[in-house]
Amino acid sequence: MPRFFVLRVPENEGVVEVAANDPANTVDQVGPYARVSAAGPIVIDRRATGCRHAVWYSAVAGLQDSHITQHDKDALRVEAR
Amino acid sequence: MTDNLTPKPVHRVRGVDHAAFPTFDPNATVRFYRDVLKFPVVHSICAAGWGPEKHPDFIHFFFDIGGGDRLAFFYYFGWEPAGDQEAPGDAWARLPMDTPVFFKNSRHIALNVADEEDLLEYRKRLDESEWPVEMQVMHETIESIYTHDPNGYMLEITRQLRPVTPQEDLDAQLTIEALCDVAAGEHPSMDQLLNRKAELIVERATDWEQPQPKELV
Repeated sequence: MPRFFVLRVPENEGVVEVAANDPANTVDQVGPYARVSAAGPIVIDRRATGCRHAVWYSAVAGLQDSHITQHDKDALRVEAR
Repeated sequence: MTDNLTPKPVHRVRGVDHAAFPTFDPNATVRFYRDVLKFPVVHSICAAGWGPEKHPDFIHFFFDIGGGDRLAFFYYFGWEPAGDQEAPGDAWARLPMDTPVFFKNSRHIALNVADEEDLLEYRKRLDESEWPVEMQVMHETIESIYTHDPNGYMLEITRQLRPVTPQEDLDAQLTIEALCDVAAGEHPSMDQLLNRKAELIVERATDWEQPQPKELV
């Protein structure tokens, strides 16, 4: 199961919101982090998050038994290892 | 003043006294820092060469960079820059010709300003000079302008967009612990770091609570 963490700071809220709006994902809270989990690959559309580039490329705080298979100007894709 | 009842804290340093760099062009250095940026000259030392090694006579001069901190330069009489002056680098050192810009610019000094008005004021001063701003970037929590001084040192002037939060301090601690762990292994990578960091988040962050302001005694 792919899982990644995002620190809850104002700049990252777009990522958390986009993740939470996708019914395929579950978002729970681990201390000050949001943890995004899903049964299959998690895909976050960058434009939907509204993140500027510097924020977008530093938004992932941790990968739980997962790896990033795409992280570019279009999307972030996280898959199980 | 402290007494036995209020021991000094572990962390006692109080910011940058001065950071020092060599220069081979004191004229341009003074124009850049004193005349363009309007940093006051606050101290200088005119010293004859001395000591066990052959040491040239030198001038050590200081600019006020605010907050009681200073930026200092050494000018050594008769000392010539080493290396290919066309190669990437600065007055302190030249790097191999194929060194990428990101690495060359990784070593830099960043000065803080209070707000956007002040950032734009320094942008204006630089843009009207021989050393215009090379880029203006909105980072995660800061906005910065950049140029290179006459010695090739990259200078950043930055403003905070918001204060750093306690959860970011925790995140930094976990990042550094994960970095030290993976850097001690073979072929460290971002993938390894983020997986190690996730373990630390589960271990350490689960019970984390927002620190409350200390009550006044």
